Amino acid sequence: MESSRAQTIARDVLAVLVVAIFMFPIAWWALSSIKPYSAIFDRSGPVYTGFTPTPDNYRVTLLGVSRVDIGMEQGGEAAGVIKGGASSYDSRQSLLDSAIIAVGSTALTLLLATLAAYCLSRMQFSGQQSFLFWILSQRFMPPIAIVIPVVFMFRDLGLRDTYTGLILVHSLINLPLAVLLLKSFFDDVPREVDEAALIDGATRWQTFRRVVLPMVKGGIAATAVLCFIFSWTEFLLSLFLTTSIRTVPVKISTFVTSTATEWGYITALGTSAIIPSFIFILLVQRHLVRGLTLGSLKE
Amino acid sequence: MSSAILTRPTSRWALPRFMTAEHPFPWLAPITVMLLVFGIYPLAYSVWLSFHKRNVVSRQLDFAGLHQWTRAFSDARMWHSLETTLIYTFVALAVQLALGILIALLLDTDRKGYGVLRALMTLPLVVPPAVTGMMFLLMQDGSFGVLSFYLYALDLISPAQPILTQPGTALAAILLADIWQWTPFMVLIILAGLRALPKEPFEAAAIDGANGIQTFLRLTLPMLRKVIAVAVLIRGVDLFRIYDYVYIITAGGPGTATETLSFYAGRIYFTGDFPYAATLSLIVLVVLIVVSNLFVRLFKVRF
Repeated sequence: MESSRAQTIARDVLAVLVVAIFMFPIAWWALSSIKPYSAIFDRSGPVYTGFTPTPDNYRVTLLGVSRVDIGMEQGGEAAGVIKGGASSYDSRQSLLDSAIIAVGSTALTLLLATLAAYCLSRMQFSGQQSFLFWILSQRFMPPIAIVIPVVFMFRDLGLRDTYTGLILVHSLINLPLAVLLLKSFFDDVPREVDEAALIDGATRWQTFRRVVLPMVKGGIAATAVLCFIFSWTEFLLSLFLTTSIRTVPVKISTFVTSTATEWGYITALGTSAIIPSFIFILLVQRHLVRGLTLGSLKE
Repeated sequence: MSSAILTRPTSRWALPRFMTAEHPFPWLAPITVMLLVFGIYPLAYSVWLSFHKRNVVSRQLDFAGLHQWTRAFSDARMWHSLETTLIYTFVALAVQLALGILIALLLDTDRKGYGVLRALMTLPLVVPPAVTGMMFLLMQDGSFGVLSFYLYALDLISPAQPILTQPGTALAAILLADIWQWTPFMVLIILAGLRALPKEPFEAAAIDGANGIQTFLRLTLPMLRKVIAVAVLIRGVDLFRIYDYVYIITAGGPGTATETLSFYAGRIYFTGDFPYAATLSLIVLVVLIVVSNLFVRLFKVRF
């Protein structure tokens, strides 16, 4: 369809405007993380510029610098700012906890899901559709329904507040997505490839391991990224199943205390937590739609 | 599989056939064990819990028959949270779908620069929902929130009644967070659907002199049916079990005005009444199973 120059420009402006509106909360968030305390809480109006950017919020959350020390550096005038409970704002352990759990659950998910997906893509057996539907139905389980009994189960098994426990639960939630998505990638590889390898004398396992698996490397990477991001951002299960291990989203929520909401630290840690996800998601743009629809739509 | 007829050198000892890689069993056993132990067992335990009652004196669970279930069905707060959940789900779905379609149409062009815009649109999807909640809490704070400031300036909201303190606007505040985070989901899926459409019908329509709106309603929308059904199903399920935004933004308040069913179950859990919390969470599950099954059948969604 031909469109006039004016229409084209109007469309460009509108498109940029819409995307800018969607970017605003992230920008405002990142901006708040480098604001001094007074600029965040300015009641006279939003502060976009006109403050001295400070790395203090990052120093407290990412480097573990004590907020008292920072108050001392700034002299007496900032001393009044220091209030709130004794909760620790040093979040390095949380970032490590989140990373261990996300990497662990991604690895476990991929291990289990790759085997199942290959089988579901390549073999025929009775009840195959029911099995697929059973796996899919796990995706529809509300986390609240899983977590309440799992709390008791983990208490009995000694898995409460452990990395293993959260890794298992995050894998459980990620498995349906991973199986269905990987199956769609295996389905893309023609069956003739397997048959040729089998005729050449390879065993079924060798065919899988040496021939087909390398052909779906891209798909496995995309699946891994989506599993990682899910685990990295998950909140409810981590909140219920841990007390001393605090994943980043749960850690952030503890910065809201009864006496004060530490917006500086919240935004600094929040910004640090979303940057890895942004990088990952931009890397797998090509497979994103397939991932979001559990493999049912291909681009 | 036909491969079974091939003879291969057998190993030193022969495994039963179902243990070999030719059989689905070893491929599916690990995931099945995982799903049974951490998926089915907890579910069974939940059902068991829902037929029991906490004995305050002995700190034991006593069998209580349908007590928890009749309690749930006569619990006005449960019905209110169900209603809130349904309103939340339908409003969010409608807005996200409408905005999703409009923005997808807007961004669906091969011109330079739009690729960047499309990539930027995916960013909200990977923000941890707890952080999204915080973002909107920061922006909607009654005294220093940037959004509150502009709403006051435009006289849309009175500073005497901050967004998060009024039942109606508090729910809208949570919805706004959800809409911000998940409209991009709809945009991406519908964009993929648009890209996959065949060109010919549109060329024919243009020759026949159909205008943009006619083409959209008569051609584009019906052809996107399957894509939209998948997106609505996945999104609808996630919306109905909403927890994070409520927990962070309003904690169910003011009062119980923005309490969703999942959140109510969580709140009961934290009071220590596990049997009732399990019952409420099972209600979420049952509604989801029934509605999603109906939906899958009605719209013939395939995975």
